[in-house]
Amino acid sequence: MVNPGLFEGYETGAFYDEMFSSPGQPRAQYTKLFQKLGSMAPEQFEERRKLADLSFLIQGITFTVYSDGRGTERLFPFDLIPRILPHSEWEHIDRGLSQRVRALNLFLQDVYGKQSILKDKKLPRWLVYSCPNFRREVIGVEVSRGIYTHICGIDLVRDSKSGDFYVLEDNVRTPSGISYVLENRLVMTRTLPDAFQACEVLPVNHYPAELSRILRSLSPRGEADAQIVLLTPGIHNSAYFEHSFLAQQMGIELVEGRDLIVDGGIVYMKTIRGLQRVDVIYRRVDDEYLDPLTFRADSVLGVPGLMGAYRAGNVALANAVGNGVADDKAIYAYVPEFIRYYLGEEPILKTVETFLCANPTDLAYVLDHLPQLVVKAVGESGGYGMLMGPTADRAKLVDFADRLRANPRNYIAQPVVGLSRVPSYDPSTGNVAGRHVDLRPYCLYDGENVTIVPGGLTRVALQPNSLVVNSSQGGGSKDTWVLRGES
Amino acid sequence: MLSRIAESLFWLARYIERAEDTARILDVNYHMLLEQSQQAYRLRWEPLIIMAGEEKLFGKLYDEVNAENVFEFLAFSEKNPSSIVQCVSKARENARTIRDRISREMWEDINGLYYTVTRFHAREEIAAGPHRFCDKIKFGAHRFHGVTDATLPHDEGWEFLRIGWSLERAEMTARLVDVQYHNLLDALPSVGAPDNHQWMAVLRSVGAYETYHRQYHSAIEPEKVAEMLILHHQHPRSIRFSASEVQAGLRAVSGSGPGAYGNEAERLAGRVVERLRYDRVSEIFKQGLHSYLDELLRMCGAIGEDIARTYFYYAVVA
Repeated sequence: MVNPGLFEGYETGAFYDEMFSSPGQPRAQYTKLFQKLGSMAPEQFEERRKLADLSFLIQGITFTVYSDGRGTERLFPFDLIPRILPHSEWEHIDRGLSQRVRALNLFLQDVYGKQSILKDKKLPRWLVYSCPNFRREVIGVEVSRGIYTHICGIDLVRDSKSGDFYVLEDNVRTPSGISYVLENRLVMTRTLPDAFQACEVLPVNHYPAELSRILRSLSPRGEADAQIVLLTPGIHNSAYFEHSFLAQQMGIELVEGRDLIVDGGIVYMKTIRGLQRVDVIYRRVDDEYLDPLTFRADSVLGVPGLMGAYRAGNVALANAVGNGVADDKAIYAYVPEFIRYYLGEEPILKTVETFLCANPTDLAYVLDHLPQLVVKAVGESGGYGMLMGPTADRAKLVDFADRLRANPRNYIAQPVVGLSRVPSYDPSTGNVAGRHVDLRPYCLYDGENVTIVPGGLTRVALQPNSLVVNSSQGGGSKDTWVLRGES
Repeated sequence: MLSRIAESLFWLARYIERAEDTARILDVNYHMLLEQSQQAYRLRWEPLIIMAGEEKLFGKLYDEVNAENVFEFLAFSEKNPSSIVQCVSKARENARTIRDRISREMWEDINGLYYTVTRFHAREEIAAGPHRFCDKIKFGAHRFHGVTDATLPHDEGWEFLRIGWSLERAEMTARLVDVQYHNLLDALPSVGAPDNHQWMAVLRSVGAYETYHRQYHSAIEPEKVAEMLILHHQHPRSIRFSASEVQAGLRAVSGSGPGAYGNEAERLAGRVVERLRYDRVSEIFKQGLHSYLDELLRMCGAIGEDIARTYFYYAVVA
């Protein structure tokens, strides 16, 4: 008989619980972890947890929040109890994501090229042209090796009713978070080595090497001499840690806009030995800040003339410019159609039913059912510009209804997905309780194959009953384990 | 190497050095003054403020020059850009912008020092006296040098670190000798004989007390102390040694051979080193210690500016 210890009195509640099929009864993939953690005294667990926290602090794995005008560094809360996926389930996800990434890439090639999907009327032209992140400036630009979506972070959630995974949204511009996947794993193997070893978990640390290989393949001057850089907005960006982490892991230069200069359509960086040509830029600066001559003129983060060099094919950018049209939350409703249209396949992963407020009938339905729906602004990310109908007060509902009527194209609505939960430790009470999670796997596309490191970032809403997992809204993360074999 | 990275390395090293030097001076002076009378107490805190070059700012912030105020000002004040806490914070900011280029151990060490320093409660520390705090800084800096030496490739990035801390050290020692010498000989004529305790403190603050005794086998004499701190060819905190390090670093970056120079900074560094090699302490005093050190300080300033012009800044060429 296993001593329930840490999990004593744990309630699975009304939601799908990733760890327990019923109270005290762990699912197959969690059996070994349950034995290891269950036999641990709460004090011992608390001690390990503090060790993990200290390790994040000393390594400076923090993100910056802006609330008082002065950025403060915060730890991204890490929960020690991992999220575990059995191998077979991961294979299903992996196939589904690969399919989706290939379809998104084909869509971007098409929408900035021949636009056959618009001509065949499978996607309304007005929806594309009204998208704030559709960039007319890159229509007809030939991108290196036809790749737009080098790196995608696709958010999945498990619906508590069906127990199935759904795609919640695509992030194909500059998705962040992979550094937490890699660092969480490192801290996890140091903090709970015995449990980790017992479970036989698939490794994740080949991500930087794979990304580096793809970036190198984009070089207009051939791979041998390729000078690759990572362009960051700088130290004040909330994802700065990740930028410097990835640059170091890949052994490439981390540059800011002021380190680069364009001369004669060629991009150079300023070194102590003079100017040096740059071939590939892994840019973590948004489209509209990339080049003040093409996009926002007030941007000081970009490089004047960069778009000219890009159009001329003298420098490659990853991800491509203009990807925002593909992860627009209204376009999301058409991705299953992209899969059928471009690949001739049926979508493997389910998507959430989506109401486009731009359609008058949809808008009428949404306004009638606001308290049951989630409303999202189409171009936002990070949990900003969102309405959670069931928990919103009257004033907020009225406010959102006005906003929907004023600018319907800017909003979509979806039924609330009852996110699954994973047991999580609450340091303020010392108890373990179920908390809602999502999953963001990171997909790398080299033009032929999609590589996905097993698992991804499990984000967890640490506030009781909260369904919002974004770090800027009080979310944390967990290590995600995909098991090597069946168990 | 990106110009911006070279610049950050240079300043990272300078700030760590400045924090260490300030901590050393503060610590030693404080303990030396414990043995003195109340009268001397007031007099001898002033040189520390002069050394930091912040008399005006100090006057604006405090009514009185006393141990508590000087300690707070030099160690913790957010308004003093050269306070120890400010130096460590700026060192960390520089390290953060180049953390992909320094070793993980270096970053964790500097980050750890930052958290140590910012978690000290100024009031409690001031009540407890500066030793514990200054010791942390000193050992933090030593650890930084050790970790850097042991984990960072000794490539051009390392040379910019060496140039940074050596240039800062040369300037700090020059200011220390200048200010203390005149404080002791001019400002306290009534004391008569040179104050040995104060000179011991000066030597201790640069960790040169033992070396002095091995070198001179004599009582502490102001001229010999000055000779040692300015001209000693092996003591790591003497001006001559530090200037040689600056020169060696600059040559390693540019590849200039002995006797040659590739840029203005190297030419000036060469001139400083040669002067310090062949000048005698008696000649220095003949010229006047203050004017001699002032010249050295001005040349150090010019070296810093020329390094920036040569390696860090890009003139906009149309």
